[in-house]
Parts: sequence; structure tokens; C-alpha cells
Amino acid sequence: MGHMVKQNSDRIAAEPWPENATLYQQLKGEQILLSDNAASLAVQAFLQMCNLPIKVVCRANAEYMSPSGKVPFIHVGNQVVSELGPIVQFVKAKGHSLSDGLDEVQKAEMKAYMELVNNMLLTAELYLQWCDEATVGEITHARYGSPYPWPLNHILAYQKQWEVKRKMKAIGWGKKTLDQVLEDVDQCCQALSQRLGTQLYFFNKQPTELDALVFGHLYTILTTQLTNDELSEKVKNYSNLLAFCRRIEQHYFEDRGKGRLS
Amino acid sequence: MAAPLELSCWGGGWGLPSVHSESLVVMAYAKFSGAPLKVNVIDNTWRGSRGDVPILTTEDNIVSQPAKILNFLRKQKYNADYELSAKQGADTLAYIALLEEKLLPAVLHTFWVESDNYFTVTKPWFASQIPFPLSLILPGRMSRGALNRILLTRGQPPLYHLREVEAQIYRDAKECLNLLSNRLGTSQFFFGNTPSTLDAYVFGFLAPLYKVRFPKIQLQEHLKQLSNLCRFCDDILSSYFRISLGAFSCVNRYQQQIDFGEVHSHDSTTRKLIASEWRHLSSWTRYGRCKSAETHTTCK
Repeated sequence: MGHMVKQNSDRIAAEPWPENATLYQQLKGEQILLSDNAASLAVQAFLQMCNLPIKVVCRANAEYMSPSGKVPFIHVGNQVVSELGPIVQFVKAKGHSLSDGLDEVQKAEMKAYMELVNNMLLTAELYLQWCDEATVGEITHARYGSPYPWPLNHILAYQKQWEVKRKMKAIGWGKKTLDQVLEDVDQCCQALSQRLGTQLYFFNKQPTELDALVFGHLYTILTTQLTNDELSEKVKNYSNLLAFCRRIEQHYFEDRGKGRLS
Repeated sequence: MAAPLELSCWGGGWGLPSVHSESLVVMAYAKFSGAPLKVNVIDNTWRGSRGDVPILTTEDNIVSQPAKILNFLRKQKYNADYELSAKQGADTLAYIALLEEKLLPAVLHTFWVESDNYFTVTKPWFASQIPFPLSLILPGRMSRGALNRILLTRGQPPLYHLREVEAQIYRDAKECLNLLSNRLGTSQFFFGNTPSTLDAYVFGFLAPLYKVRFPKIQLQEHLKQLSNLCRFCDDILSSYFRISLGAFSCVNRYQQQIDFGEVHSHDSTTRKLIASEWRHLSSWTRYGRCKSAETHTTCK
């Protein structure tokens, strides 16, 4: 994905950001899962912070439309880019960047914290969705397969679950219990809370892609109904993180006339 | 604290106390925090283990995986992060995540997947540490595990071919090394003048990459250009691992190993001959269980 942007960078830079740029994700009400929702919200927040207009379109087969199989992806002009990392690079090639003002050490820190969120929060979300039997049975299977007829809905859901379980096993999360996963989430939130401190954003006055990513995940965790509240309780323990989410929601979503996020 | 803490881990070579990253992380942390570990290097008497090496055994606990072992040591009051601020503690977690996501795939690839490296260096070395028939099975299993991990975490579309995945993971690893070098700057350790958990992790991941002699060395070449990271590894080796008399029960052998490890050539057949001779010699000395892994020594 990175190499695609490098090859076309001249062409990309030449075209300004169009008015009809669209972001594709799964169906919001019935289909999208916690981790995908978080990723999509992170991209939306990032684009809002860059002041780039984007229209959100929900498609049941968004996962298959995406060039990398991951949502969300954006369709800008005649380019299709998926996932936050490549989208940040793509937007940078067009001349917009949130992290230009950071020095080398700060950029390293930003990248490290983004990896922390991916490593712990995202993996914990995937674990909860696909490896916790209660959640899988009550929520995930039904939602993931909802656009498809029987038996396709079951087959696709089981296939995805098998893939995620394989990955969990490869990175050493296969044997973790739910309590251990929740502890990891707590550790991650504690680290984020300590790093944020009393600042407005992670790198003081201006938000960066790290703020967008953290917002995407935390907001989704706080507002998604799961089988129990343990996950959101972990986040609620940290008042500065709650204030952070509220601040971004207000500033970048409500004030811009996009209305409250559902 | 009266109960002995025993660590089972892979042995050393090429001037290192261990060539296995995770074992090295735990050893380094133990040194930094002052934990009295009795190190049991895996040798011919090993019969496989219930978990993944390194493993910490106490009277009533068996702990595996570096993160859990470090947590356990901290609970036993061996805390190397005592002087860190809350923010520095948070930074530690973040940088460890960066290492695992960006650097580890390339390190695994260099050791276990790149065929020249695996068949000429890694496999013979690990096979020589453990008894037959484990020596036939375990290295292959570790190699498959490494490839699996790389493909499952990084080998997603549009990177369908292993070649493209390799290119991407080495790019990421070089970027990660640059970031670490920038962050370290001219300081002795990552947070001030005393080493902490992050230093243990960085040392554990970098030192094998720095010291082990491989045929295919693109990542090693890149690392050697970052002189502050090399200096970091060398400092830790010379300050914490050369003059230890207590923690390692087989110190004489170990010191000889450091002197000779870099001088002799690494011809694997010569190594195997010396290895078998050495095993014979050391079996009738009193240091029965704990043997040096790198056997370029002559018993003087």
C-alpha cells in the first residue's frame, strides 16, 4: 500500500482534494463490528482534523471492495486507499499533514503510541469480538453475517472467526483469558492517560493522527453495546480520556454540523 | 526472596549471554533490577518444556513469556523502573509495542526464515544445544512458527507474495531502528543514567542482530551504521555481563567464551567437532548442568 503511493506521488500531488471524496464502511446499524467501527471513526476524525471533506457511504460488501480487505477505505478521484496508515501517507502526498510540526523524537513517540493502540486496543477488540464465546454467540456472528442469506452468513462468520483465532495464536494471545485481556486494555488506557496528562491533545495544542486513532477506538468502546460493560468501564476509569473524547467529538463532529455521532 | 529463582533459557554465543531475544530480555532485566537469577542454560539434559522458553521457575510458580516474567519480578520487588515518571512508564509500553510490531518480524525473518541464515547458522546452533531427537524437530517447529507469525500479521493483501512481505518488513525494521537511534541520541540509556525495562527490551532485540554472524546481513549492516545503538549494546555487555560472578554458575567457561567467540571462524563443522569434544570434557567437571553454548574454547 505504501509503494502504491510512492509510485504515483506526483500524480497524487497534482490533483487537489475533490468534493466528492467518499469513505466506505459496512452498514452502521446492523453489520459493522466494534473494531471496524473504531477504524472507520479514526479515519473520519483524521480527515476532519485536516479539514478535508468526506462523505461516508455504507455498503454491505465494503470489506470485499477494499484493496486490502480492511475497512475503511476512501475513494478519492481515481485512487482507492485503505487503512489509517496508508491514508495518512496519501493525504500527506496531497500536501496536508498534521504531524509536520513535530521533531524527530516526537514523531518516533507518535509512531510508538500508534503501535501501542494497534497492539493492545485493537487486538483486545478483535479478541473480544471473535474469541470470547459469549460475545461471538450473541453479537458477532449475527452482525457479521446479517447481509447474507443462509448458509452463507454462517460460513463467512466461521471463516472469519477461524482466521482471527489463528492470528491470535500466532502472536501469543491464544491462551489469554478475558480477564488478562481486560487487564491489558487497562494498562494501555493507563499509558495513554499518563501520556495525555492535562494537555488538550497528545502533542499539546494541535491534534495529530495519534489523537484521531485514540479517539476512534475509545469513543467506539464507550458507545458500543456489548454483552457486558467491562470494556467500557476500563476506559471510564480515566477521566482525562473521557474529556479528550468529548472534546474531539464536540469540536470536530458536532460543531462542523455533522450532527452527533450515533 | 529466599526461594531461588531459576531461569531456563537458550545459551549464548558470539559474545552474548544468550542468542535468543526473549531470553536475553529477561537476563538483562534481571541484571538491571538486581534479581538473583540462577540461569539454567538449555543443554543435552533438556527434555522439552511445558511452555515457551524462557521460563522462570520458583518454588510454587512457573512463569513463561518475557512480559509475564518481568511482571512477576516486579511483584517480587525487583523493579528496574523505580525511578521512571508516569509518562516514561507509558513511553516504555509504547516503544515495546513499536519493537514488537516493526522490528520483531524482520528479526524473526533474519534468524528463522531467510534460508541461508537458517540452514547455516540458526538451525545448527539450536540443534547443537538440545538432545536427539528434539534437535531434529524443535528448530523446524520454531522456524515454521516464525514464518507463520510473519505471514499472519503482515502478509495480508495486496502483499500476496512472500517477497513483497519481506521487502515491507525490512523497510519497517530499518525505520524502527532509525527511530530508536533518534530517540536514544547521545544518552547512555533510554531514560536517564540507569537502565530500565525498555533498555532490556531494546538490548534483547538488537544484540543478537548485532553480534551473530550471518551470511545474509542487510539488517545487520543497517544497524551497524547506527553507532549509538551499537555503543548501547556494547556498553550493556561490558558493564553487566562480563564481570558477573554470582548470577551465572559457569563463569569461567563463559569468560573464555567471550574472549574466543569473536576470534575463531564460524565454520560449522569445526564448531561441531569442538562442541562434541567440549561436551565430553565438561561432563566430568563439576559444572554438569550449566554449559556454555558457544564452545570455541580450549580448556587451559
